[in-house]
Amino acid sequence: MKSLVQSPGLDFHKREVYLGWGLVFPSVFIILSLILYPIVYNIFLSFFDVSLGSSNTYIGLENHKNVVSDVFFWKALMTTIIYVVCTTLGTTLVGLIVALVMNKEFPFRGLVRSLVLFPYVAPVISVVFSWQFIFDPVNGIVMDVLVERLGILSDRVNLIGSPSSAVWVAILFSIWKNFPFTYLMILSRLQGIDQGLYEAAEVDGASGWEKFRHVTLPEIYFITGSIILLRVIWNFNKFDEVFLLTGTNVKVLSVYTYYKAFVGTMEMGQGSALALIQFILLIGFILFYVRKVLKW
Amino acid sequence: MVERKSPVRKISFAMLVILIVLFCIFPFFQMLSMSLKYQWDWGNPSLIPTQLNFEAYKELLNIDQGVKNVPESIINLLEENPDLTKDQRNTILDKYRESGDVFPFMRYFGNSLALAGIAALLSVFIAILGAYALSRLNFPGRSTINRGVLFVYMFGGILLLIPLYKLFVGMGLLSAPGGAFTSLLVIYLVQTLPVSLYMLGNFFRTIPFSIEEAAMIEGASRIVIIFRIIIPLSISAIVTVYIYAFMIAWNEYMFASVFLKGFPDLYTLPMGLKELFVSKNAVWDRIMSASVLTATPVIALFMLIQKNLVSGMSEGGVKE
Repeated sequence: MKSLVQSPGLDFHKREVYLGWGLVFPSVFIILSLILYPIVYNIFLSFFDVSLGSSNTYIGLENHKNVVSDVFFWKALMTTIIYVVCTTLGTTLVGLIVALVMNKEFPFRGLVRSLVLFPYVAPVISVVFSWQFIFDPVNGIVMDVLVERLGILSDRVNLIGSPSSAVWVAILFSIWKNFPFTYLMILSRLQGIDQGLYEAAEVDGASGWEKFRHVTLPEIYFITGSIILLRVIWNFNKFDEVFLLTGTNVKVLSVYTYYKAFVGTMEMGQGSALALIQFILLIGFILFYVRKVLKW
Repeated sequence: MVERKSPVRKISFAMLVILIVLFCIFPFFQMLSMSLKYQWDWGNPSLIPTQLNFEAYKELLNIDQGVKNVPESIINLLEENPDLTKDQRNTILDKYRESGDVFPFMRYFGNSLALAGIAALLSVFIAILGAYALSRLNFPGRSTINRGVLFVYMFGGILLLIPLYKLFVGMGLLSAPGGAFTSLLVIYLVQTLPVSLYMLGNFFRTIPFSIEEAAMIEGASRIVIIFRIIIPLSISAIVTVYIYAFMIAWNEYMFASVFLKGFPDLYTLPMGLKELFVSKNAVWDRIMSASVLTATPVIALFMLIQKNLVSGMSEGGVKE
């Protein structure tokens, strides 16, 4: 092919290299200068007492020490772990069940499949208020059902208003918002499974559960494992969903960092240190997970 | 699979489907319902409003708001003095109109539209060039860049927020509205660029090389090929990626909240809605109709590109 296109007098290969670099340069330049450089700069900033007006003062590991010795950091870390574990398990489980259901034939399946994606595509800001209303102590339907209809609670309470219960509302919201992505990924893998495998299993007399356990599960193991990894990465860094729904009632690490760096005294140095610690924790988890679970 | 099913299993399966659908769309019904209810109807748990109320929508879309906040005495005064010029009338009316401008929804809508629209356009254009190089041309460093693009998925916004803020403040961009707008535009560009590169690269690889080869034999250069062959052949994928990038920028809150803090005129919808909710103007019908109006364009765009987007995502083109 190369000899076919190569015309005498110019080095086709060399030109292709230059063109390739030229075309990809804008993308690489933007990503390097606005993603990679800021990350390096963030590491740099975490060693300084950062002020917006005057120059920064080098203070070594002072920020990192301050952050780690603060009890609120450990609380935020615990909240984050609870949030990440519960939302990841929840989205994966709901996504898996919905994918199995949507893989069967039933009337209006096309319509149902697109309705299920609504929570995932709707802007976070446009659905948080609806959720706040649903959990509103005065007018919301949750309190109406729990107090008036079922009598489980004796008083109407503001679930989003108190930090201990707000984290569970945030978890439920995250599951609702993000399970469609998991469902979509698992469904597309399910559709690719060779039907012959199920027929063979049936010939061997396998029950519904056994078919799922020995045919479906091995086939979707890798994709589910990868989605779990993505979910952990995304939910560990999650800000918008938590902050917009519960304000600062649920202080996961991202919200805690945002609060430290941009509210009140604006401790940007400590904010950078927090973001860095969060990043290192995440990288540690990813390396562990990729080795042990995905077995790359 | 051919299976005989008992009616009980059929019914429980149908119930499961209904339950899933309700779980997904109940909050949407709730917000539509609340946006149409009068205040006296809020405590009513039924989703159907006792009486329809379109006031909130009219207010947000600025329909029939001409004389709403003007006291009756002033209107009478104007009617009794037909010899006032049009300008004079408007100056008098404007005094009262301003106090009625509680939530400039249309302005926020326009800001969001401009930011997301331009950022997505730039992102797609730069990504077309990059993705072509990454999928078609052989050059040293190509696989490193390909892997690097995936690596970017790992970085959360919060890690970039402080250094980017510090950098843009250092460049003096955040002291004027124009600079703040540009900063945010650039950030949305870089936030959507990796996804665009990845999705377009995947698509370009599916275009048979023989088409390009034929054009090259006839002497077309690579640049001509990109514009005359690749772009027309992948227009549906490009539209999909554009809309996806648009949606990412349209939905973004965190960067907007920090970069636009001092410029209420530049607020995007997420930022404006959040401000509205904590302000004294927070009324459920107004918030909910603003929610409906914010979600509608995104959901409509999504329906347009659903098929392509779903297959693009299945191949790994996603960002959160």
